[in-house]
Amino acid sequence: MQTNYSLVDGSKLIVEALAKSGVDAFISYPITPANWINQYATKRFPIMTFAPDEITVAQWISGLSAAGKLPATATSFPGLALMIESINMAFMMELPMIIVLAQRLGPSTGSATVGAQGDLMLVNSLISGGFNIPVFSVSNIYDCWDITSKAVHTSVNLRTPVILLTSKEMIMTSYTIDLNKLPEINRAEFNYYTSDEVYIPYQADKNYVPPFLPLTNNKHQVRINSSTHDETGTIKKATKAAIGNTIRLHTKIQRRLNEYLLYEYDNQESDLLIVSYDISSEATRDAVKFLNENGIKVSTLFPKTIIPFSKELIEIIKSYKHIMIVEENLSGLLSKLIYGIETPENVTKVNKIGSMITPSEIIKEVEKCLQIC
Amino acid sequence: MSSNMLIDKNSPYCPGCGHMNVTLNLAKAIDSLEIDPLDVIVVSDIGCCGLIDPSLASHTIHGLHGRACALASGIALAIDNPNKKIIAIQGDGGATIGIAHLLEAARRNFNLTLIVNNNQIYGMTGGQLSGLSNENFQHENANIEEPLTPFNLIELAKSAGATYGCQLIGKGDFTDYLKKAINNNGFSIVEILEVCPSYGYQKYSEIENLGFKTYEFENKRNPFRLYKNEIKSLINFNESKVYFESNLDKPIKIILAGSAGEGIQSAAELFARAAISCNLNVTKKGDYPITVGTGFSVAELIISPNEIHYTGIEKADVLIAISQNGFDYTKTKIDDNTFVIADSSIQNLISSNKLTFDFQKTFGKKNSAISSLFTLLILKNIFPPEAFENSLHESKHREKFIQLIEKIKSFLSEINHPA
Ligand code: SF4
Repeated sequence: MQTNYSLVDGSKLIVEALAKSGVDAFISYPITPANWINQYATKRFPIMTFAPDEITVAQWISGLSAAGKLPATATSFPGLALMIESINMAFMMELPMIIVLAQRLGPSTGSATVGAQGDLMLVNSLISGGFNIPVFSVSNIYDCWDITSKAVHTSVNLRTPVILLTSKEMIMTSYTIDLNKLPEINRAEFNYYTSDEVYIPYQADKNYVPPFLPLTNNKHQVRINSSTHDETGTIKKATKAAIGNTIRLHTKIQRRLNEYLLYEYDNQESDLLIVSYDISSEATRDAVKFLNENGIKVSTLFPKTIIPFSKELIEIIKSYKHIMIVEENLSGLLSKLIYGIETPENVTKVNKIGSMITPSEIIKEVEKCLQIC
Repeated sequence: MSSNMLIDKNSPYCPGCGHMNVTLNLAKAIDSLEIDPLDVIVVSDIGCCGLIDPSLASHTIHGLHGRACALASGIALAIDNPNKKIIAIQGDGGATIGIAHLLEAARRNFNLTLIVNNNQIYGMTGGQLSGLSNENFQHENANIEEPLTPFNLIELAKSAGATYGCQLIGKGDFTDYLKKAINNNGFSIVEILEVCPSYGYQKYSEIENLGFKTYEFENKRNPFRLYKNEIKSLINFNESKVYFESNLDKPIKIILAGSAGEGIQSAAELFARAAISCNLNVTKKGDYPITVGTGFSVAELIISPNEIHYTGIEKADVLIAISQNGFDYTKTKIDDNTFVIADSSIQNLISSNKLTFDFQKTFGKKNSAISSLFTLLILKNIFPPEAFENSLHESKHREKFIQLIEKIKSFLSEINHPA
């Protein structure tokens, strides 16, 4: 196939993929390193404006979503922190929206222009009560295109907020890409309620998701509720029906995971598997390429649907004698997500803060590990 | 007469609660304006006043504490139709926690009505004071601090740009005010002073004794409209391209280091585009302080015949330093194998593998970056200089580059070509 090279950055691809997937409204509050995304968004969406703070952002996109638009925003940890209660609201209301999270060095304000992968456990536990919202992670520039699109489709199909997890170095670096390698993106389609019967807003179909009607429709009354509610969308204390409705929100995300589970697995039939995500995947790819050229086989696994963390991935991981987890944070968040507090002896964590983990650091760890193996 | 808007006449509130009269007045206002309840979207806050939903035939959306006005604003952003009526209902507690939201809604003049049920206290949580509690309000919690003057919501909203506002005592029939608010094509705020028999005042006379009076304002302004941008794809899939040949056989890592205002990032971008026109892979990233207008400006470029994954540069193959700031910032990334091209002004340039040129003197601050990159292409076989020339020709600053290219060519003809 002929090549069609172009210089693009991750921010541009993400915004274009959002728009092509059907996102038609974008609200944000300026924050580094999400600003390129925000800037591109000003030229790409019919509804685009900046809100005065991130709580307002999350409320405005919720309002847009309830009124039938498909909204997105982009932020970093300080902004996400302000949005958490509202994202819980949107989850409970079952409003689709895409939140692009550009990770940067923390804690607190940290360094706005230094990348990091420090927010995985935060997004894993964002929803109070033991629920997940789907979190997608981009492992290279091409993922900024199709993983973004998958995130949008998942958000619409499951009627839930989703997070697209990325980081500074991924979205503020320009790359050569071959435009001919970008697959076609389809618009995500809402499953609207079409019957003449009375609309029961939270009565789910067999896929655990209620058909949607916007607040702008003139045919059926719509009740949307952030508090504990039953199928009718009216507030209820913890009645059986209301708790059943709340549990369904967990069920839809977990049971339908196979519809949106994406990962990249290169099985080299080795003893060692490296698991990584986001920006550290790229250093891992280079490290493994070097090791392969020197006759050393290493398998790799890059989860792209990272939350919920699928049992299918656990099975792959379990089939290896030794596992190495590479991520740019202090104590190994993916490792904690998989194993809890105690890291098993056959797991090596490669962690760092302040700059990207380099291929040579990974190679060094692999060499150490192969001596023990 | 039966109401279209009110579908449950039973009060969800405590007996005698002021919220019920607001509910009845709101339903009556909608009925008498002959608005289809399904053209109405009621956005209710947390607090006792948020129990209103089941009473109404309209659409209802029940959100977070203090955010009803912001949620309603989001809905207003989606709707470009003055016949749709968005009505947010908050208490004095909700209005205080979300005060920035109502100021922003007023400033933008979003087409919605905000009703603030001010009964002077937080009812649902046991009667705490809010930022809207009157300084003379008598209550058991009132003595925990010096009495404070409350916010004047109506004046705040007015100064922020609201187009209708009214404060009233919530007894009897006040549908006329609600009708004006709902009919206003823009942001309206109605603050209703109320009783809360459980924690606050029992009688409206007690509220009147605090000195509240009914008053209203109007202010003509256009409602919020989004500026309609022309929307087009950010990626041109059918860009026509000129292609050049390169025989680069392994990756080369280049750092271009200078200062803010020297066009470092745009020169690196044009260089990257040139590399792409030779079917090479490139990554480019910028590094600069948060104050982009001062200090160093550094661009890192990796150019490779193969796909590039890791985009960092631990040790550079080439460092081009055109001013001191950038050199000082990047000098830890060079070793004996790094080929250094530097402006002759750079101090402390300890490298066994360097060439210096008068870029700044010859080309000035703005053009040294481009000139030095051309020099690199003459000295090292990365891709043909013609590709870079073409990239400059294709840029939006084409005119100013034509002369520059001539000047660079004559400058370079005087330097020794490598073997
Ligand atoms: S506590 Fe006060 S505000 Fe709440 S319902 Fe009872 S009377 Fe009304």
